[in-house]
Amino acid sequence: MKQPLLALVNLNKYYGDVHVLKDITFTINEGEFLTLLGPSGCGKTTLLRCIAGLERIQSGDILLEGASIKDLAPNKRNVNTVFQNYALFPHLNVYDNIAYGPRMKRSVREAELKQRVAEVLDLVQMSGYEERMPHQLSGGQRQRIAIARALINEPAILLLDEPLGALDLKLRKHMQTELARLQRKTGTTFVYVTHDQEEALNMSDRIVVIDQGEVQQLGTPRDIYNNPANLFVTSFIGDRNIFPVEVLETGAEQAKVRLGENVVQVRSSAAGRAALRAKEEAVLAILMDKMRVSCAEMDNALRGEVVSIHYAGSQIRIEVRVADRILTVVEYQKMECDCQVGDAVFVSWEESGAVLLPMEAGWEERGM
Amino acid sequence: MRDKTSRFGVFYLSLFFVMLYLPVLSVVLYSFNASSSTAQWTGWSLEWYRQLFRDRTIGQAFRTSIQVAVLTAILSAVLGTFTAVVSMWVSARMKKALQGIMILPLIVPEVALGVSLLFFFNALRLPFGILTLVLSHSLFCVPYVYIMVRLRLAEIDASIIESALDLGASTWQMVRTIILPLVAPSIVTAALLCLAMSLDDVIISTYMSGPRSTTLPVHVFSMMRVGVTPKVNALCTLILVGTFFIIGVSQLITKKRRFAK
Repeated sequence: MKQPLLALVNLNKYYGDVHVLKDITFTINEGEFLTLLGPSGCGKTTLLRCIAGLERIQSGDILLEGASIKDLAPNKRNVNTVFQNYALFPHLNVYDNIAYGPRMKRSVREAELKQRVAEVLDLVQMSGYEERMPHQLSGGQRQRIAIARALINEPAILLLDEPLGALDLKLRKHMQTELARLQRKTGTTFVYVTHDQEEALNMSDRIVVIDQGEVQQLGTPRDIYNNPANLFVTSFIGDRNIFPVEVLETGAEQAKVRLGENVVQVRSSAAGRAALRAKEEAVLAILMDKMRVSCAEMDNALRGEVVSIHYAGSQIRIEVRVADRILTVVEYQKMECDCQVGDAVFVSWEESGAVLLPMEAGWEERGM
Repeated sequence: MRDKTSRFGVFYLSLFFVMLYLPVLSVVLYSFNASSSTAQWTGWSLEWYRQLFRDRTIGQAFRTSIQVAVLTAILSAVLGTFTAVVSMWVSARMKKALQGIMILPLIVPEVALGVSLLFFFNALRLPFGILTLVLSHSLFCVPYVYIMVRLRLAEIDASIIESALDLGASTWQMVRTIILPLVAPSIVTAALLCLAMSLDDVIISTYMSGPRSTTLPVHVFSMMRVGVTPKVNALCTLILVGTFFIIGVSQLITKKRRFAK
C-alpha cells in the first residue's frame, strides 16, 4: 500500500462570487502519475495553482506529507511547476535557467551545481545546450529545459500545466512517451493537467475527471474508460453513442431496456444500479468501436437502417438510424455484412462496451 | 490613381520636412559664418566656436547643465523604476490612482508648475541651485521613466514571475534576478531621455536657477535678449549635436533589445 503524499481536504476556492473549486477531496500517492482531466474552464489549472501556492484557497486544507502547506508561499513549498508556455527566463541561458532554483535557495556550491545541471540535462537529453539562450531553442527543447529546471530541485511533486499544449501533434506524441519515461526514471510524483483524454489515458496511473469545479470520477484509465461514473464522464471520455431508453426491468447486474420497438439486456453501472427503477427513463451509452453491424437478425440487438458509410483509412464509420436516433458504429476489420445505404441491419455490441446510467436533468442541453 | 496620390504624398512630406528643418540647418550653417552679422554669408570660419570656448560664463552654465542632467537622470531612473515595480503589487484601484498622479506633472502647464515649485522651495527655505534644479527636473522626468518601465513590465509574461517564485526565489530575489535585468534596457533608454529633457528645459529652469547656477538653455535665452549673435548659433549647434547623440544612443539600445528578443 502506497502512502498518500498529498492530501486535498474539502478544498474550496472562489473568484469573487464564482465558486471555482467545490469541496475537492482526494489524495495523491507517492511516485504516481496522476492526471487532472477536464474541459477548459473546469478548474483543473486553478487546482494545480492552489497546490503550487500561486492561488490562495478560501477553505479546506492541503497536506503535503502530513503537514499543511496551504499558508506557505510558493517558494517555501516543496513542489515545482512546469508552465504551459514553459516560462523560461529569456535573459538567462540554459545553464543559468536550470541553476536558478538551487542558486536562489543557496542549497549547493557552484562546483556541485555544475555536476547537477549536467545530470538533469542528460536526463532530458539536452546535454551540450548549456550556453544556448531560450529563444534559440525549439518548442520541444524549451519544454525539456523547463522540466529540467524544475527537476533539479528534487520536488516532492512536479506539477505540469498542459505542458504539451503548444506543441504540434507529432512532437506531442513523442513527448508523451518522454514524460512517462522521465516519471518512471526519477520516481517523482507527477500531477499533470490536460483537457486531452488521449494524453490522460496514455500516461496516467490514475485520472481525476473534473467538471464545473467538482471531481466527477477518480480511477485508473481503464476504470474510467470502461466504467464511467456519470453522464459527464461518459460523454467526455471515449466516443460513445449516448441516448435515452426506457427501463423495463432491473436486475442485479443487468437491466432490460426499450428503445422504440427494440428490447435489449444491458449492463448497468455500479452507480446507476441503485438509482435505476423500472418504467423510468435512463441513458444508455455504448462505445462506438465496441459495436458491430450484422445483416442477420440476432438476439440483444437494435434493428435499424443504414444511413451512411464512410471509409476513413483503417476505420469504417457506419451511421445507422434506430428509432429516430442516429447511432455511429466504428468497425476496424472487414465488415461482417456487406450492407449498403438503406439496408435493414442489426446493431449489437460487446457487453462491456455498454453502460446504463440514470437520467440527469438537462443532460442533452449540456452538449452531451 | 494610386501613383498620383503617392506622388502628392511625397511632395507634401518633403515640404513638411523642409519647413521643419530648414531653420535648424540655417542655424548650423551660420554658426560657421565668418561675418559677425547673421544676415549675410561671407565665408567659412570657426571664430564663433573659438569665442564660445573662451566664454567662462557659458562654460560654467554648461557644467551646471551637465551636472543637473546627470543627477536628474539617475534620480528619475531610480524613483520611476521603483514606483513602476511596486505598482505591480498594489490593487487595481491604487494602480489607477498612481497612474493619474504620475501623468499629472505632464499635464500641468510648465509655467504653473514653475511658479508653484518656486513657492514650495521658498517655503522649505531650500537655496535655489543645483538641488532645486534636480528636484524640479525629476518632477517631469520620473513620469517618463515610470511609463516606459511600466510598458516593459506589461510585456513580461506573468508565468515567468510565477515560475521564479515557484523555483524558490523570494520576492526581492525575483525582482533583482528577473524583473530588473528584463527592464534594464527600458531604464537606460528612459534615463537618456531624461538627460535630454533636462538639458533642454528652459521654463522650469528659469524659475529654479540660482545666482551662480544657471543652466545652458537659460543662459542662451538671456543671451538672446541682446540679439542673435553667431556665438549663439555655434552654441545651439553643439547642443543639437549633443541631443542627437543621446537620442541616437537610446535608439540603439532599443534596437538591440528588439534583436535580442
